[in-house]
Amino acid sequence: MKRARNIAGYAWAVACVVAVLATFIGNDYFSAKLASATGVTISPWYSGGEIVRSIDHGAYRTVIRRPVFDGLIGERKEGFIQIEWQPVTALPPVIEDGIDFTGDGKEDFAFRLDTIAGRGTLTPRNPSVIAVETLVKVNQGWVARIQLRKVS
Amino acid sequence: MQGFFLGLSSGAVCAAYCAPVLIPYLLGEGRSVLQNFSALLQFLMGRLLGYLSFAVFAWGIHTSLPQDIVHRNLLIGAAYVILSGLLIFYSFFKAGRACPSAGDQGIDHRLRESRSSLFLLSMGLATGLNLCPPFLLAVATAAEQASLLQSVLFFLTFFLGTSVFLIPAPFLGLLRGFSPLPVIGKMAAGLIGAYYLFIGATMLAGGFYR
Amino acid sequence: MTKEHPSQGKTVGVRQSPGKSFLLALPMMLLTLMMMSGGKIPADPQRLFVFAVTYLFFNLLFFLMIHTGKTDRYRATAFITYALLFIVSFISHMFEARGSMSLSEEKIILCEVPFCHLVIPMTLIPAALTKTIIFPGMITGGFASIASMFTIWIGASLSLGRGWCSWGCFFGGLDDAFSRILKKPLLRKIDPRWTYLPWAVLLAVVLTAAAFLSPTYCTWLCPFKTVTEFQAVTSFKILVQTIIFVSLFIALVIVLPLLTKRRTQCSLFCPFGAMQGLTNRINVFDVRIDPHICTNCKRCVKACPTLSVTEESVRAGRPLMSCMKCGTCVDVCPSGAAAFHVRGTPVEGNRNIKRLLFLYAAFLFLAIFSGGTIQDGLSRIIRLITTGSMI
Repeated sequence: MKRARNIAGYAWAVACVVAVLATFIGNDYFSAKLASATGVTISPWYSGGEIVRSIDHGAYRTVIRRPVFDGLIGERKEGFIQIEWQPVTALPPVIEDGIDFTGDGKEDFAFRLDTIAGRGTLTPRNPSVIAVETLVKVNQGWVARIQLRKVS
Repeated sequence: MQGFFLGLSSGAVCAAYCAPVLIPYLLGEGRSVLQNFSALLQFLMGRLLGYLSFAVFAWGIHTSLPQDIVHRNLLIGAAYVILSGLLIFYSFFKAGRACPSAGDQGIDHRLRESRSSLFLLSMGLATGLNLCPPFLLAVATAAEQASLLQSVLFFLTFFLGTSVFLIPAPFLGLLRGFSPLPVIGKMAAGLIGAYYLFIGATMLAGGFYR
Repeated sequence: MTKEHPSQGKTVGVRQSPGKSFLLALPMMLLTLMMMSGGKIPADPQRLFVFAVTYLFFNLLFFLMIHTGKTDRYRATAFITYALLFIVSFISHMFEARGSMSLSEEKIILCEVPFCHLVIPMTLIPAALTKTIIFPGMITGGFASIASMFTIWIGASLSLGRGWCSWGCFFGGLDDAFSRILKKPLLRKIDPRWTYLPWAVLLAVVLTAAAFLSPTYCTWLCPFKTVTEFQAVTSFKILVQTIIFVSLFIALVIVLPLLTKRRTQCSLFCPFGAMQGLTNRINVFDVRIDPHICTNCKRCVKACPTLSVTEESVRAGRPLMSCMKCGTCVDVCPSGAAAFHVRGTPVEGNRNIKRLLFLYAAFLFLAIFSGGTIQDGLSRIIRLITTGSMI
């Protein structure tokens, strides 16, 4: 028994050296496997949530993502919705968009984006729309996050 | 039953918000499962008191509070400041009990014990008054109730629903064999207290500034 | 060559002859050549020079480790060099990519923030419950992706346990460096209760991260943001956060290690390190103190930079769970009672084989993990000298 433990100990120690090599040689493979096996994604609080609709304006488009209220379990009272205008090269100096994210056919808010000055003006038409949380220019276009609060 | 189901559906979120307060305390005490249940009951009693007072409040204010961000921030900020003050006080007050025999005799012991109950009760009350997301949902729903009785009943059932998720907390007593846990619990309570204090203070400052 | 311990009359293997050391270091030379070059020796003269310097640096250190029988001083040389050149390389990259060390809102929105191992404990509960990672990084691909860092962490945990903190962590070399500057500590007494603080920080950040779905340690506390990247100060809240993490950096990474000669950030604050201590339980390598040889001189207790060796732990024959396997206690032990050990094998006997097995795993990890960064850091310094700019 003692001898078996001895052999197992040394074998395990040698396996550790192999594990170090495998960690680095197979890093790309293991990373891809880990990502696909667990199915994890970036939290919508950072990624902005999935795209639900894209409105084509000809030269440019407005991309609407789903409202994010995700909590650890269930939903939170406060969240946001991310809207994007792209591509950056085709955007007019001023964009005026009416957004219906609830899908009830009624505009939930209007947004005026001045792409030259980098200013956004929000006009809420729905009590759950609170304020502009973030407005930032990225390489593909402009991104706005609008703060929302659930109203029952 | 609407309150109970609302509590059940959002109780896990409630637990997520209350756990940072409750778990360090239970670990910090390092008591048995049974003693932890009694501590949880005191905590829940405090929470119930908080909820019931909000039932009265919600009925009174109807729909104005959830929309008014300034008052909302002031209230949340005040709750955070009270909660964090209690947590930090707990970390230092309890950690100062260096001699194990110091609290075991006479009036001093009784005072400490009663303070402990009051402490738990008030901590529960502070989390009960705390406007966490599921609670805001409850306030908004309760504010639509026609009468005071309905509002109170709503909050009572909401409280029962959310409390279900705090039941496993006393089993942390099973970990008491790991001797550093009380110290770790107290330190964590102090850290979380400092965090809540900052959030509360900035909310209050923001609320007053506006 | 071996040394006879006078008081015990036991033979304690500490040194190897140059020839034997070379032979024992030969597999490391081949493995590091293969791993650092990726099977292709650089053709560009400057890159070839940097590669050769890095390669020789590592293999000379490993040779000396075997030849002298000392572990810590050569480990620390490589570990500290890694930390310093990591900063040079990382900051240069940040300036190249975004023109400053501060994180822009754009990078956060695009989820292009490099992921580091310190975030791991906070991501576990939200990942289990929501199947999402609460960090604005990339799952795969790009620079320092989340899956890649997790893979390295799993590999390190399996092969080294908390040895990661002395052989792999690219931040650990900083407080290690400052803890070595003074010859004697100015502050000797540290209340042992402070060693529980990392667990409290771990508990606090894990709970708050789960509650707020935000990596709270990164946002509020991580001292190493001072020398890597941080959010641009655009609000009072971010200003407070900045004051907190810069203060923690000055206190825990510079001042306290200088005064105490201990790695205070790693042993008294780091929540990742606390969690990593748990992996020592499943790792095959550990340090043991043979009670039959120990003369109870307490040198290991005084020297341990991570406060992992206490009088009680010496009596128990092993350091605490927080041991980072740096080898300091092994090096300072005059009787050879403290030694690297392989679980399942007897404490006494075959010490050199056990030490060699550990060193192969640990040093190989350090050389491969840091090799690219050290080469990049050196290239940047050469560029600075020749062109006046690191970018």
